[in-house]
Amino acid sequence: MTRYGRASADTATLVGIEAVPVEVEVDVGPGLPTFQVVGLADTAVLEARERVRSAVRSAGYEFPNARVVVNLAPGRLRKHGTGFDLPIASALLASTGQIDPGLLRETLFVGELSLDGQVRPVAGLLAHARGARDRRLTLVGPPGVDAIAAALPGLRVRPLDRLSGIGRQESGCHRVQAAWSPRAAHPDLGEVVGQHLAKRALEIAAAGAHNLLLLGPPGSGKSMLARRFCGILPPLTAEESLTVAMLHSVAGFDERPALAGVRPFRDPHHTCSIAGLVGGGAPPRPGEVSLAHQGLLFLDELPEFGPSALQALRQPMEDGFVTLVRADGRVRFPSRFALIAAANPCPCGFLGDPEKSCACTAAVIARYQGRVGGPLLDRIDMSVWMPRTDPGSLLNCIAEESSASVLERVMEARERAIARDGVPSSALTGRLLRESCAMTAAAVDELTDTARLRAVSGRAVTRVLRVARTIADLTGCDRVDSDHVSEAFGYRKAEGRMT
Amino acid sequence: MKSPRFELKMGDAEYPACLLDLPRPPKILYGIGDVSLLNPGLGIIGSRKATPYGLSCARRFAGWAATRSVTVVSGAAIGCDQAAQRAAIGGGGRSLAVMGCGADVDYPRGAATLLEQLRTEHAVVSGFPWGTPPKRGHFPQRNHLIAAFSRALLVVEAALPSGTFITAEAAGSIGRDVFAVPGSIFAPECRGTNRLISQGVQPITDVSDLSIALGLLHMTVPDDDGEGREDPLGRALIANPMRPDDAARELDLDIVTVMRALGRLEKAGIVGRYPDGRYGPC
Repeated sequence: MTRYGRASADTATLVGIEAVPVEVEVDVGPGLPTFQVVGLADTAVLEARERVRSAVRSAGYEFPNARVVVNLAPGRLRKHGTGFDLPIASALLASTGQIDPGLLRETLFVGELSLDGQVRPVAGLLAHARGARDRRLTLVGPPGVDAIAAALPGLRVRPLDRLSGIGRQESGCHRVQAAWSPRAAHPDLGEVVGQHLAKRALEIAAAGAHNLLLLGPPGSGKSMLARRFCGILPPLTAEESLTVAMLHSVAGFDERPALAGVRPFRDPHHTCSIAGLVGGGAPPRPGEVSLAHQGLLFLDELPEFGPSALQALRQPMEDGFVTLVRADGRVRFPSRFALIAAANPCPCGFLGDPEKSCACTAAVIARYQGRVGGPLLDRIDMSVWMPRTDPGSLLNCIAEESSASVLERVMEARERAIARDGVPSSALTGRLLRESCAMTAAAVDELTDTARLRAVSGRAVTRVLRVARTIADLTGCDRVDSDHVSEAFGYRKAEGRMT
Repeated sequence: MKSPRFELKMGDAEYPACLLDLPRPPKILYGIGDVSLLNPGLGIIGSRKATPYGLSCARRFAGWAATRSVTVVSGAAIGCDQAAQRAAIGGGGRSLAVMGCGADVDYPRGAATLLEQLRTEHAVVSGFPWGTPPKRGHFPQRNHLIAAFSRALLVVEAALPSGTFITAEAAGSIGRDVFAVPGSIFAPECRGTNRLISQGVQPITDVSDLSIALGLLHMTVPDDDGEGREDPLGRALIANPMRPDDAARELDLDIVTVMRALGRLEKAGIVGRYPDGRYGPC
């Protein structure tokens, strides 16, 4: 005989990376047996009805043969996702007296249910966890919440692997999630043979947060090098890692590497849409620029990206965040990332190759290179060529410097820059840049002479100066000298085009 | 200002006599601009995809021709042709463009302003009627005309295969002097010019060679200033343009030293950075 009753459970829905409180009210009353969900629920939430019905039965409880109404409050907030399964089931069981209603007090439920009653993880668990901590509620959710508890001090959790365990006061979790090990988070720079110019540029880019363009034929190791970039950056601070983990969690990716301090490496394919790149959709999800927050965004085959997608990169690069405005509100995702772009110099890839001659006509090369808009290229401080590696030198195993020893120099240079200017040199402009450089007389001569001789534009001079500032920091010099300027000129990029 | 168009028929008094040296001279020569330029000058030709070395040769020789009031004849193509014609105009000299399309057609598109300037102040001619679009098959005839309009023909840079061979052969067969600027034996961009030399075309082995050669045109060439080239890295790069990585390996230096030295050499104007990342003579 079904008991009628009413109960409510606390849960949340994601808006950006925030978990906004939602109350799940369940009323079981007399009438024709129905199961309705009201309160601006999206399709995934409505489908909860079928999952809850089966999961409740599989867990050995009874699904009431009565009129069941679920209300998700506040009613004006749009709810989405599959995390409502567990709170709906809990409130349903409490309203029919099958579990103690006291279990719902001061508790936040999040989790998807399988038809056989298992509790499954949902995207944005970390955001829910932070919400629970801020509201001083105990988080009841899928196995994995215990790992998150370690990253969020003050959070109380109760992992649950099956709905049948919900009536028990204790944890009741038998499945333990394998711990994530940061072993070989980033491959080592020492594995790359030769390419010393590109490695030096990578070091400078890491030290001064400069954006870098790698040019070279296919197979010269451009992606190989980019994958090693995060390994020569210091690990994430606790605060950074929480933000990064939050973004990854909301997007449904594994947040454990970020929680362990590993900087993200994102390499979207060139067919990536604008929404995929900068974020979008309903509900808004973080795009690649946000998933690369505090890490590296690697754009391989740069000219193959859609021109509008590249254009869309501009604002996030400049502001360090993306604001997505939708009919029901606006969401902001952080997007402070390093950019490494790689490109073939021409469609066939062999322009400038010493042995293979290039098969492209001048017009084809110009069109290919022109596909990357000036505004994006303007935000790239350095460009280097990566020739094909000589097969002989690949086998000639000379010891190459490891990531760890490059990291030491990078950290020192970053600390110098932050102590002096408060920002990395790539963020300096105008008077601040000139003051920070404190150029020697020889350096001034070197800069003005070369700029005049090579007809270098003012904007390019600024970029050269920024890079020279970083080179001086890597050398441990307070003032920028002529040597630093000479070297910086070698990494300059041609105006308005790639090569 | 609308520049005057002219059509010169074979047999007319004004029809350029030099064209009659060709086995099949055009029946009508269409042109825009100054008819007085239709006399043999210095032909300067080279590849479209030229290296800075090739472009720099084209510019330098065209510049000298300009100072000696010798008309620079070329095809207005991208690369060496345009570099030579721009340098001739810039140096206050005269220039004649011979087209593979109608003389009133802007081709290549990027050369529209250059062609406009040539039409108003110099001359643009073609063996094809007004409005003829550029076609692959037209260029051999264009090249024959360039050969005929050259007292001496200078090939500054050519890869293999190259349309400059047609011009060089045509010039040789009608008794014009042909010269070629030798390039690095490692550079694919110079294989054509080096091949021409092996086939008997006179090489320009030294800038003074050119002055002897051009003595035919009553031109003299200023001395090279031979500025400080004692730096081993500079010497190596002048002999063979290289990327910094390769230079570091060849000379057994570390990359930071090489990059700093390159900056100094670039400032001194001894080497320049090529669009493909190599450093070499400029």
